[in-house]
Amino acid sequence: MSKTIAFSGRNFKELVRDPLSYIFCLGFPLVMLVVMTLVNDSIPKETNMTIFRIDNLAGGIAVFGLTFVMLFVCLTVAKDRSGAFLMRLYSTPMKSGNFIAGYILPSLLLSLLQTVIAFAASLVISAITGIELNIGGLLLSVVVLIPTMIMLISLGLLFGTLFNEKAAPGLCSVVISLASFLGGIWFDVDATGGILADICNVLPFVHSVKAARLACALDFENILPHLLISSAYALGFTVLSIAVFRGKMKADLG
Amino acid sequence: MYAVQTKGLVKQYKTKTAVSGLDLAVNEGEIYALLGVNGAGKTTTIRMLTCLSKPTAGECFVCGKNCVSEMSEVKKLTGISPQDTAVADNLTVEENLRFICGIYEFGKEKTKASVDEMIELFGLAEYKNFRAKTLSGGWKRKLSIAMALIGEPKVLFLDEPTLGLDVLARRELWSVVEKLRNRMTIVLTTHYMEEAEKLSDRIGIMINGVLKEEGTLSELEERTGEKGLENVFVKIAEKESVK
Repeated sequence: MSKTIAFSGRNFKELVRDPLSYIFCLGFPLVMLVVMTLVNDSIPKETNMTIFRIDNLAGGIAVFGLTFVMLFVCLTVAKDRSGAFLMRLYSTPMKSGNFIAGYILPSLLLSLLQTVIAFAASLVISAITGIELNIGGLLLSVVVLIPTMIMLISLGLLFGTLFNEKAAPGLCSVVISLASFLGGIWFDVDATGGILADICNVLPFVHSVKAARLACALDFENILPHLLISSAYALGFTVLSIAVFRGKMKADLG
Repeated sequence: MYAVQTKGLVKQYKTKTAVSGLDLAVNEGEIYALLGVNGAGKTTTIRMLTCLSKPTAGECFVCGKNCVSEMSEVKKLTGISPQDTAVADNLTVEENLRFICGIYEFGKEKTKASVDEMIELFGLAEYKNFRAKTLSGGWKRKLSIAMALIGEPKVLFLDEPTLGLDVLARRELWSVVEKLRNRMTIVLTTHYMEEAEKLSDRIGIMINGVLKEEGTLSELEERTGEKGLENVFVKIAEKESVK
């Protein structure tokens, strides 16, 4: 346990001491929150378009922000692997479980902090715009997003393990784009239909966004299916990333 | 019991034999320099002795513990400062040292004592709150060695510890290694003949994965009829290339 705590501490510091992580994980989602609120203000009321209203936007932006945590997890793992640092640690009594937990736990903490900050900013916006946001709903949304956090962290671990420092961020950008465009953050997936809606519904992101939005609205009745889908994806990617990391570590030490 | 011992150690990669039947014995408390041109198998040997690579054949031991079947024990007995400086860039000097203490599960008091000792030994006090990425190459290398040392290894492996350092930084590191003499066994690889001459009790010369000559400097000089390690090394290396 002490080894995992030590490695988690190191990874947390590495993540929070990178100035870029503030720009991408915090700054960018907060800017989007403000920009989209302004966009919402400019949309004529008669269109009945509520996608950018803060009660819808909060959950979507939270998921959008989490995709950047994936990027930084991926960069940390890829950097560790490309240098001699991980090799040094391989020669110590650390085991694969210490490494995996040491990457996942601090990233989860960072994801939780990021989501809380995004929701706090959403509360401020809701106070300014007069659109009510329920604090209990936001807290429930934080909990509902935990599987999504784990899924994205696992994806970061997976890409960082499989690809080098140059290739891995590119792949993360693909996931960020997919999550952003096909996650129903910027448009209403249910209003589109057809193959686009089918693709969106197969991917986990739209379910993460919907679960977060429903939690914000304290709509307990409809959360479960989306939560189950995002949890299943989280489980699948976690198992896969652990297997791949273990396999790669074994190969490195072969 | 030897601090380090290999018996017919072989490491075969797909088409290349990196280490070929290496028999090596390093006594406790000794500083042993492993010399060889690039690709001679020095780093591969160290990787096998520090459980970072599995031998294809043969056996290797650290303080009598088998590096394959008793890996956990061996990992507690060894410390390595790799060729590339292996420090956590965004952690301070002190945090890097504390981090390694955490991995070795030191208690609070032992951690403090060990960190203070390393900071004192390596003269790191002035830089202890500096992030590792802001240090010069020489200080980073010192930190890297301190991180290898803080786990209280019985055997310390230094893989080209002064590679790429300027002459002053190199001399400073030599004085650190000198301070460690008799505290533990040290196996170092180097390309600098002066370094091996200055620091080591015994020298092993590896060529194409095989230990070609071994002994004290005077023994090697006597065997080759040459004066100075550089001439000894060149003679042995040339003899092998003619073969």
